[in-house]
Amino acid sequence: MEEAQVVGLLVRRCVGGDAAAWEEIVQRYHRRIYNVCYRFAGDSDNAQDLTQEVFIKMYRTLSTYDAGKGAFMTWVTTITRNLLVDHFRKSKGDRITDSLDSAPSEREDAQPLSEQIADRALPPDAAVQSRETGEMVHLALQKLSPELREAVILRDLQDMDYREIATALRVPEGTVKSRINRGRAELARLLQRTYRQVM
Amino acid sequence: MPDEIKHGVECTEFEALVSDALEGRLSPARKESFEAHRRVCGVCGPLFADVQAGQQWLRALEQVEPPAHLVHNILAATSGVVSTRPQVARDGRTTPFGERLRERWDSFSASFFRPVAAFVRQPRFVMSFGMIFFSFSLALSAAGVKPKDLAKVDLRPSALRHAYNDTQIRIVKYYDNIRFVYEIESKVRELKRANTPAEPGPQEQKENRKNNTSGQPDQRQDRNYSQEYNQPVLAALRAGAPITPVLHNGVVDASPAAVTTNRRFV
Repeated sequence: MEEAQVVGLLVRRCVGGDAAAWEEIVQRYHRRIYNVCYRFAGDSDNAQDLTQEVFIKMYRTLSTYDAGKGAFMTWVTTITRNLLVDHFRKSKGDRITDSLDSAPSEREDAQPLSEQIADRALPPDAAVQSRETGEMVHLALQKLSPELREAVILRDLQDMDYREIATALRVPEGTVKSRINRGRAELARLLQRTYRQVM
Repeated sequence: MPDEIKHGVECTEFEALVSDALEGRLSPARKESFEAHRRVCGVCGPLFADVQAGQQWLRALEQVEPPAHLVHNILAATSGVVSTRPQVARDGRTTPFGERLRERWDSFSASFFRPVAAFVRQPRFVMSFGMIFFSFSLALSAAGVKPKDLAKVDLRPSALRHAYNDTQIRIVKYYDNIRFVYEIESKVRELKRANTPAEPGPQEQKENRKNNTSGQPDQRQDRNYSQEYNQPVLAALRAGAPITPVLHNGVVDASPAAVTTNRRFV
């Protein structure tokens, strides 16, 4: 049985009141949704709250899902994205899209990102180095504007195709590609500047 | 970006083709013109390099593992039916109890210590803590306490128990000594009292005062007056009162002004 059929069956069972089917859906998708939320929101606490909100919304609106209109994952991503946008607006997240050298507004005495990253000298241990690099990329990802961030997260971290991303973000496919390219380029420039300072 | 046509590809078109080129979706002919434009164009070449580098950075990011209790929380918040499944680790094996306990502890410590650390890092807290520290150190140095003395303090359990016992013995001894001294003092007082003649007790004095119906004020009241008992007091007679001549040094003296008496008028 194909993935779409399995999920369609699970959704039908769940709408019919089968708690085990709902648990199966949660087990299948919670890791993926948590990762999207974590990479977008930037920290684990917010990611947990957002993931929980996504599933609450899913649980309430599961009967409105139409398999003919698109994949279940696209539908879930649309819900996730809408909640992330709401969260971003509520938390005034646009402050974290400041330039690289400006200090975050929530802590005026804090170091700019370039200095925060430069403080972390890469240790010789490869595993630790990999983790540190991951943290640097994660930190730089938070500096992208929300539009670019969500596009690169869905493409490069969640492996969604352009059409699905365009459906989830409700923008043309060309816009998706443009945002992904701009997001990747911006991220590379941020990290290159950081590396130049470290070296 | 200038819309220059180089090798059959415009710069705007190049940007639209970057994603397909990175994923190898371009036809051979298209790919050739794309590569030729990339090599020549001073804007599109660096742009492609940045996009490619950014993609590699992002692809290197690993998936993060959600907290173990997330599924439980989601189910509790939605269906209300708590999962009956055993917790499964990343590699599909059942998570051992110790690991679950450690995850719970990590989650708890992160939720507890993170806000505390954020509070402690505030400049106001640091300033307050510094002021308290300096105040204490000043007070201790004024009291004569030296850090060297504190370093000598033995904090082993046996040493603490010894110190406690010594202190207790010292307190008991001190109390016993005080009691002995008080007993001696009371004995001496009793002996003194036995050797001195008995005085009327306060009850007896009170009774005497009650029985005194002479109308004379008691001795204590006398002390409040400014005139002494043996001082002469001038007295005046009422108008029309008969004057009886008295002998004064053998001479009859009827002058009222000259009448003096040693009696005290009440």
